[in-house]
Amino acid sequence: MNEFVEECRREWERLGVPDPVANEMAVELEADLEEAEAEGVSSEEVLGSGAFDPRAFATACAAERGVIQSNAPDGHGLPRRSRLVAAICVFALVAVSGGALVVGAPSAEPTRLAITAPGPPMVVGPTGRVALWPAPSPVEMVRIAEAARDAAAYGVALPLPAGDTRIVAVPHDSGEDVRVLGWVLLAVGIAGATALTTLRLVAEG
Amino acid sequence: MAAVERRRSQFLRGVLDLCLLAVMEEGPAYGYEMTKRLRARGLSTVGEGSIYPLLGRLEREGLVETHRAASDGGPPRKYYRPSRKGRLALAAGVSEWRAARDAVDAVLDPVEAEVAS
Repeated sequence: MNEFVEECRREWERLGVPDPVANEMAVELEADLEEAEAEGVSSEEVLGSGAFDPRAFATACAAERGVIQSNAPDGHGLPRRSRLVAAICVFALVAVSGGALVVGAPSAEPTRLAITAPGPPMVVGPTGRVALWPAPSPVEMVRIAEAARDAAAYGVALPLPAGDTRIVAVPHDSGEDVRVLGWVLLAVGIAGATALTTLRLVAEG
Repeated sequence: MAAVERRRSQFLRGVLDLCLLAVMEEGPAYGYEMTKRLRARGLSTVGEGSIYPLLGRLEREGLVETHRAASDGGPPRKYYRPSRKGRLALAAGVSEWRAARDAVDAVLDPVEAEVAS
């Protein structure tokens, strides 16, 4: 096939021109150029200055034919490239979000609370997920309640002699799940962004 | 010389679609055949443009009908001819062209007379 026509075909393919239309245009062009050449007529006389820029020529033909968006071209398929860049940005955003979840997830280690028991049993927390007795001092109670709320703590019940102090481990119930979700998003984001970036480099190379 | 060709190219650009409709009105023609018909009338260059994008536009706008047929000893070609809408557009375009040409002539004719005298 004529080199000029080959270039046009590649450009039509890149622009997403449907194959039947691209084939039709290529066959028409090739037959005309062959006939012109046989008659000693240069391709420039047939194609005008388009003979020197097959991509622009192909883009103009496809745009006038109405098989691509007329603003796509300038010979470089901007809308498609923009979509690709937008998709890369979305994947990058997913990766960053995943990374933030991994870093920001509560520690897998349980929170350790120092409990001193000066009084009778008490229940801490609006859902009753932390039960302590005997009750710590009021100041200690506030600290424990806040720590338990922040850590989504649950299920601690300790009978303590008055004045005794225990270190209580309050496990987390959501940190690991958040971290797993973070890793998944990070992996998907990195994989998607890498694949699309490679695709873009190959298409432009 | 390049300036002359550029000016001719610019003149032609505005009416090339009419010229194409006119030459295919003489009989169905494929792309290169139209180029030859234009050349036979002195329009030997299409300059910066080309007939092919224009043919695409004429087809998209329904101004031409196409069919494939064997050419003389060559591969099947895509033949164009004006549709009814295309013939109407041609008639209207020719009127516009003549009006524009007459207006330009009215401006340029005295200049020509001065140069000649």
